[in-house]
Amino acid sequence: MAISVDPPDVSEHLRQEQGYTFTFLSDPNTEVIRRYDLLHKAGGPKEHDISRPAEFLVDRSGTVRWENFTEDIRVRPRAEQMLAAARAIQW
Amino acid sequence: MKCVCTRATLLHFMPGPNQKRTNSALWLGLLITVLGPLSNFLYYSKIPAAVLPWLNLAIPAIGLLLVLIGVVRASRQSQLYRGKILGSIFTVLAALLFAGSAWLFIHVRDVPRSAGAPQTGQRVPDFTLPDSTNQTVSLAQLFSAAPGMAQPKALLLVFYRGYW
Repeated sequence: MAISVDPPDVSEHLRQEQGYTFTFLSDPNTEVIRRYDLLHKAGGPKEHDISRPAEFLVDRSGTVRWENFTEDIRVRPRAEQMLAAARAIQW
Repeated sequence: MKCVCTRATLLHFMPGPNQKRTNSALWLGLLITVLGPLSNFLYYSKIPAAVLPWLNLAIPAIGLLLVLIGVVRASRQSQLYRGKILGSIFTVLAALLFAGSAWLFIHVRDVPRSAGAPQTGQRVPDFTLPDSTNQTVSLAQLFSAAPGMAQPKALLLVFYRGYW
């Protein structure tokens, strides 16, 4: 599941273009992004507030089992890395 | 065969004003510096991403260093190497490319610390947001089974910068 400040139609365009099958959620008011303390103030174009990149693996109880916060926005975990992290955990 | 070392043959081995060597350090240096910005495309490769920021910075630094070596050569051994004028032009270009790479290196690291973000072992806050088809979805709903599918054991939440 992916979350950003992008409005639903932008996310839907990206989803269809890339053929993604997972859910995209829109948080244009950075309400949830703020609640997760992931706000990057003026980090977007035209000084817009955006989310910093972050990934969380959450179990059914809502508990974080693995997380990743990059220090460099160019460095993101690859799908294989996140799948490996998920496989390494006893669910 | 006997070698007759005339003045002409000697001159051949003594670099004259038009027979200076190409200052290869200058050209190689500029080429490497140009590869610096291009090395940002390596994020699409299989190279471990964690080493790439340093590589993106090291490549133009090495290039600039080579250009400077070329400049020193051209000024100290001006009878041997070309590139006095070219050297100053290349220095400016290489310095600008390096400065751009250094600025990018700092800028992309301008990420908030997010000390209050959920950590391993902590519960994440529940939330409700519209999905890409404008349907309201809650975190709890995402954990419920989709038709014909088993209930997911886990969920991967990916927060990204957006503006795609």
